[in-house]
Amino acid sequence: MKARLIFIPLAGIAIAGGPAYATVYLSVEQAQQIMFPGASFTPDNRTLTEDQVKAIEKMSGVPVRNKQLKVWRVSTGGWFIVDEVVGKHEYIPFALGIDAQGKVKDVEILEYREAYGDQIRNPEWRKQFVGQGPGTKLQLGKNIRNISGATLSSRHITDGVERLLATYAVVLH
Amino acid sequence: MPLFSTERAQPWLGTIVSIRSDGPRDATSAAFEEIALVHRLMSFHDPASDVSRLNREGHVRPVTVHPYTREVLDWALRIAAASGGCFDISIGRELVEWGLLPHPEGPGAEPDGTWRDIELQADGSVFLHCPLWIDLGGIAKGYAVDRAMGRLLAQGAERAVVNAGGDIRVHGLTEPIRLSVETGADTMPMLELTNGSVASSSGHLQRREIQGMTCGPHVHGIRRKPAPTDRFVCVLAGKCMVADALTKVVMAEGNKAAGILDEFGASAYVHDPAEGWNHLNCIKVANA
Repeated sequence: MKARLIFIPLAGIAIAGGPAYATVYLSVEQAQQIMFPGASFTPDNRTLTEDQVKAIEKMSGVPVRNKQLKVWRVSTGGWFIVDEVVGKHEYIPFALGIDAQGKVKDVEILEYREAYGDQIRNPEWRKQFVGQGPGTKLQLGKNIRNISGATLSSRHITDGVERLLATYAVVLH
Repeated sequence: MPLFSTERAQPWLGTIVSIRSDGPRDATSAAFEEIALVHRLMSFHDPASDVSRLNREGHVRPVTVHPYTREVLDWALRIAAASGGCFDISIGRELVEWGLLPHPEGPGAEPDGTWRDIELQADGSVFLHCPLWIDLGGIAKGYAVDRAMGRLLAQGAERAVVNAGGDIRVHGLTEPIRLSVETGADTMPMLELTNGSVASSSGHLQRREIQGMTCGPHVHGIRRKPAPTDRFVCVLAGKCMVADALTKVVMAEGNKAAGILDEFGASAYVHDPAEGWNHLNCIKVANA
């Protein structure tokens, strides 16, 4: 093991295109192939009615913010849904695979974009990045992908999965 | 040429676990299966987990647990012994009392119970000498990271990074890791880690007032009071499980924890508002 702690002047760091941390993990197609290898996927998008929204919220206890449901029917049985939840500051798109028995097969986070913490919303802190031109080597979220000591909660995602399982029971089952 | 062939992230262990590796795709899937298994075995919330079974029945009869659970308990007791109980997995009692964990089913926890009441029996089962609320939240994430890395390497990965909400293990490369600590200085602390593990803790993000005390997410295992909330601790060790567990010791004991770090081949960076940065047990680990 080798480790060293270095202190980088904040003025030398660029924020990569808005959020302080942005990682793309999988495309929709990649997530489909990981969850259901070899299967084909037929889009079967739905728009939830008011009654369905109410039923889903009652069953899951989680508010439904978007009535548009992005869903695919899987040739080998089951469903593939792409949805998003609100993280601390940003949307987190994720994919849920539901097997033919209606059970969770997999959850994959497709992209993760979060601000690093309170300091990022502080205008004084942000000002330090203004005017940083090309040639800046370090980009938060690009070559600094890992962060240690923050509290990344998966609560929003587990709530989102609960909501989609209720959606499955009300709309797709 | 991309350095890594896959990077994926899934929600487990109450956080987001990401895995980057140059191994085959199946290796990443297998690594996530290891993490899912640790999650199922060691969850405080799931009534079917090994931990919940122990908390319900462990004082009535010896409970057979999965070898993974047994291994984590073994290490937890070792670190508890080395730290004189500063790291104590029976702090579920305080965390429930302060509203940080839900009240489990079954018997209440014995007010005086500690890690010393946990007996690992020769046949692999576990017996509690009194009812306890064991919480492995301070060690299981690190263990899951170790298991995932082991699986990635076994299935052909040569370079990999496993990150469970800031408990990170790196193999085969040097990885920059930003430390989330607000020091007020105009610099950003960043760790460059090669072939090892790091875990960090800071109390201020989850700080709140409970029962007249300033509570962070950490408990001093001996005093049974909240650990200081203004400290930032980052522990480096070979095993991520050890780094994870030792953050709680350093969080509670500060600079006094240097001897325990040494015992486990670990070192730590500590930031304290009053004292600034301190590097505990640095020389020995740098030469290891």
